Amino acid sequence: MDLVQLQRQLVDYRTSLYHEGFLDEQFTQLQELQDENNPDFVVEVVSLFFEDSERLLNELSNALEQQIIDFKRMDARVHQLKGSSSSIGAQRVRQLCIVFRNYCEAQNVEGCLKCLPQVKHEYSIVKTKLESMFQLEQQILNAGGSVPV
Amino acid sequence: MELMKSDNIVPDRQPRQEEIMQQQKQQEEEEERRFHVLAVDDSVIDRKLLEKLLKAFSCQVTCLESGEKALEYLGLLHNSATAASSSQSQQHQGLKVNLIMTDFSMPGTSGYDLLKRVKGSYWKDVPVVVMSSENVPSRISMCLEGGAEEFMLKPLQLSDVHKIQARILKSLPQS
Repeated sequence: MDLVQLQRQLVDYRTSLYHEGFLDEQFTQLQELQDENNPDFVVEVVSLFFEDSERLLNELSNALEQQIIDFKRMDARVHQLKGSSSSIGAQRVRQLCIVFRNYCEAQNVEGCLKCLPQVKHEYSIVKTKLESMFQLEQQILNAGGSVPV
Repeated sequence: MELMKSDNIVPDRQPRQEEIMQQQKQQEEEEERRFHVLAVDDSVIDRKLLEKLLKAFSCQVTCLESGEKALEYLGLLHNSATAASSSQSQQHQGLKVNLIMTDFSMPGTSGYDLLKRVKGSYWKDVPVVVMSSENVPSRISMCLEGGAEEFMLKPLQLSDVHKIQARILKSLPQS
């Protein structure tokens, strides 16, 4: 595939992520903050998000496996996940966290048990999509082109 | 270091060293003139974002991961809030903070706790902006009544930082 095709593919892919609600305008803000001084800013922030989310999702799984569920602690974790997904524009993850928090507040075990796998699922989808997008960007850079904004 | 006229290389080296030192001094002075912001948030992602947002406006940024770390930085951790003791003012000598931006919900010392401590101390004239991901009217009025310059909803954008900067720069004394 030539450079122009790659660039077009990237733009289309990115647009679809917004249309399908995986990303919202906060992700655009991240891209606007990237410049020559910080050419890897978006990748760095998103990588932090991946690390942080995986930790939080593990902690949430552990919390739900306990005999006595600490809803307050769980709520704090979900709040963190909601915050970080909001900060990078991972819209679907953020929206699910709102639902999850409602279940925690209501101390609804079944609700939580139903919600956690959904959050994990949405997280893994957005992670895969963002990684694909970054790969596409890297291909463009390797081909000597610039990443379209 | 002695200049050896017979050696062509050495005479060039000394002026360059001086140049470098001068450049460094200029850079340090420039840094001191820059707007210094404390960015306090327990989320590593939000700290990184806030730092970038502020640097986009040429601010010097110090990131701190908790209210306690912020109090420690400001020299407020172990003693009372009064600025009476001379040892405290010695600690503050040379330390310049133009703005504090803090998350509201942090474990331990919250953003609100930090706000109150700052407003009751030597640092009371430093504007404090409180940030939160939650739009809770009672929380907002509590912070504003507690002396916060502004309450902002996360995630912050460039336009938000621009707004704060404009307001605060206007009220900065010409030093």
